[in-house]
Amino acid sequence: MNLLPLVWAGVWRRPWRTSFTAASIAVAFLLVGLLQGVNAGFEQTIAAARRDLLTTDARVRGSPPMPISMRDDIARVPGVAQIAPRAYFVGIFRPPYDIPAIATEPAAFFSLRPTLTVEPGHIDAIQATRTGLLATPALLRMYELEIGDKITLRSRERRLDGSSDWPFDIVGTFDSVNDPNTAVLAVINYAYFDESRAANRGTVERFYLRIADPRKSVATAAAIDALFANSSHETRTRSDQERAEADTKQLGDIAFFTNAILGAVLFALLFLTANAMRQSIHERLGEFAVLKALGFRDSTVFGLALAEALVLYVAGAVAGLALAAALAPLADEVTGAIRVSREVVLRAIGLAALLAAASVALPSLRLYRLSVAGALANH
Amino acid sequence: MRSLRHTVAVTTFGLRSIPRRPGNSLVIVIGIAGVVAVLTSVLAMSVGFQRTVSGAARPDRAIVLTTGAESESSSTLSREQVRTFETAPGVAQDPDGKPLVSAEVLLVAPVSRKHNAADAYITLRGVGEQLFRVRPEIELVAGRMFEPGLREVIVGQAAQTQFAGLELGSLLRLHDGDWTIVGVFAGGDNVRESEVMADAQTVLSSYKLDAFNSATVLLDGPSALSRFDQALQREPALNVKVYAEPAYVAMVSRPTHRLLRIVAFAIGGIMSIGALFGALNTMYSALIARTTEIATLRAIGFGSASVIASILIEALLLALAGACIGIAIAYAAFNGRAISTLGGARWDSQVVYALTITPGLVALAIGLACGIGLLGALFPALRAARVSVADALRMS
Repeated sequence: MNLLPLVWAGVWRRPWRTSFTAASIAVAFLLVGLLQGVNAGFEQTIAAARRDLLTTDARVRGSPPMPISMRDDIARVPGVAQIAPRAYFVGIFRPPYDIPAIATEPAAFFSLRPTLTVEPGHIDAIQATRTGLLATPALLRMYELEIGDKITLRSRERRLDGSSDWPFDIVGTFDSVNDPNTAVLAVINYAYFDESRAANRGTVERFYLRIADPRKSVATAAAIDALFANSSHETRTRSDQERAEADTKQLGDIAFFTNAILGAVLFALLFLTANAMRQSIHERLGEFAVLKALGFRDSTVFGLALAEALVLYVAGAVAGLALAAALAPLADEVTGAIRVSREVVLRAIGLAALLAAASVALPSLRLYRLSVAGALANH
Repeated sequence: MRSLRHTVAVTTFGLRSIPRRPGNSLVIVIGIAGVVAVLTSVLAMSVGFQRTVSGAARPDRAIVLTTGAESESSSTLSREQVRTFETAPGVAQDPDGKPLVSAEVLLVAPVSRKHNAADAYITLRGVGEQLFRVRPEIELVAGRMFEPGLREVIVGQAAQTQFAGLELGSLLRLHDGDWTIVGVFAGGDNVRESEVMADAQTVLSSYKLDAFNSATVLLDGPSALSRFDQALQREPALNVKVYAEPAYVAMVSRPTHRLLRIVAFAIGGIMSIGALFGALNTMYSALIARTTEIATLRAIGFGSASVIASILIEALLLALAGACIGIAIAYAAFNGRAISTLGGARWDSQVVYALTITPGLVALAIGLACGIGLLGALFPALRAARVSVADALRMS
């Protein structure tokens, strides 16, 4: 026997109550979608970060740069497969904007930074040109430059000859996967930069490295840091994943914050829906008694009530989650990471089913205890 | 006068019937309590942050940065630059005639959070010898001042509450070895309390740096600012910009403050809409429960206006109860609770502040609650007043 028409009729018994309840559920699940999306966004950033890519920095931030000679020591640590140095150069092309540039060995650097995309030809070009410079499309657009241009950047970093003008040739472009078309960044040859600068020659700010076995990231990092323990350049080596996790924790305890809000929201929602279900069942006790008198089992009558709640909850949740997915790009600008992923949606719908069951649990106790004669007599 | 008496009578009638329908009435109360608790707590973060960052700002103090720098950490001041503006007009002097200027350098010190042992950085500020004259609100509450030339630091009270290993006598690991914590300072509502301080010259030489980040200058009163500023602008080679301290803190705290407010109003706004539907549900249900009663009242001569007013008043009272519960929850759980987030003097350093629920926040929360209650009751009330008496009586 098809019970669906019965469920449907029950849902629309009081159209205004159904609409308001469904709307409350939708709003609550809009928040579930957004806040869980924020949690998922940060988790995703951490999970996507690689464990086989490591960085070695000075142990304490703000310390003087490390000597480039450390590169050979690090490369000899078992498991280290590839290494690239990084120094930082800030040039001014047209005031007041700064052009930040990474001075490195481009071929190794790009293979160690999978979040940067570059055409192989452009790597060859900068390797072949000592004064070569690769720029992001956003940078080129910002200063109306194109590949082939020769530019002179002024910098606080003086050259050996005392001048502060640094000539470069733009030989190609690269872009960031995370901020395509908006990241403003350049890459230059470490060799050219280091030979020409007056101060801090032979130093780097960071080493990027790859290890052969991602499972050994912690042990390898510890081995590298042990090399320089108690030296004048103590280091701190972390995998990209560890760094992403630390950056997230810096923001404060996001999970606690979002869970506290969701707790308040879901409690209020459960109360509201349980009350609506109680009323709805209460008003129809007579009808339920008739169903029982006709031979419907207790469990079928309970199933009808549960099905009504499920219809309300799942419809509301789907509407709310759809809205959350639509609003996600807007929220992303505020929080920097949000992902209304399939997992978030599935978990939320599971939660909706659970809440639906909870909201009918108490009221339907009455259905079980319902005495047919009594209920029919009262109505 | 009669309509007023009628309104009072109908309202009392309605309120008396609330205990007979507790579930319905609680929906509006709990819904609004949730909105108010969340909105108040998040805004309390924003207020606490703002208070801490701008708490000690004085109009007779100036912050000097390099031109173009938007914060202390992106500014670089050489010793020559500092020497030049130290003697400019408007700068206050101590009894010996020395200028009250503290040239400062900003670095970070690694610490770990007490509650989850997570890594964090707090600001390490190298300060000049005139610190206590330039910032009289800062005072040592335990231990002693650091000795220039030694690896010694003093630590802020607020930082101590949030981060491990900052007790008096502990060692703080900086890049060239361990520095001893020899004193603890307090400074009221002050972002400095989230920092550790050491002698600027000692910090510069141990980090092999040769420039400061910023300078804090005590002026001869607030009116001396323009004199000081003009004197500095007359020296184009100096290349610095002067901010009154209140203007500076407003500038640097704006992004964090804005973010917290956006989050508060976005989440609070969405929750309000949800609570509004809850209120509509409550009031329509209340109306149905009282259909006969309201129709009877109207049949014996009570006006529609009295009926509408009574429903609005009932919703308003329930909303107020919800607001009070929500505020009480937020107050009990969070008021005065210290937290730390990014937002310190350096882009990567932490600031410690306490959530603060102000009378303004309470008023805002109550206003919002009343708005939700009224809006939720308006349509049901209008409907109640329109239903024909005969129909209503027959329906029941």
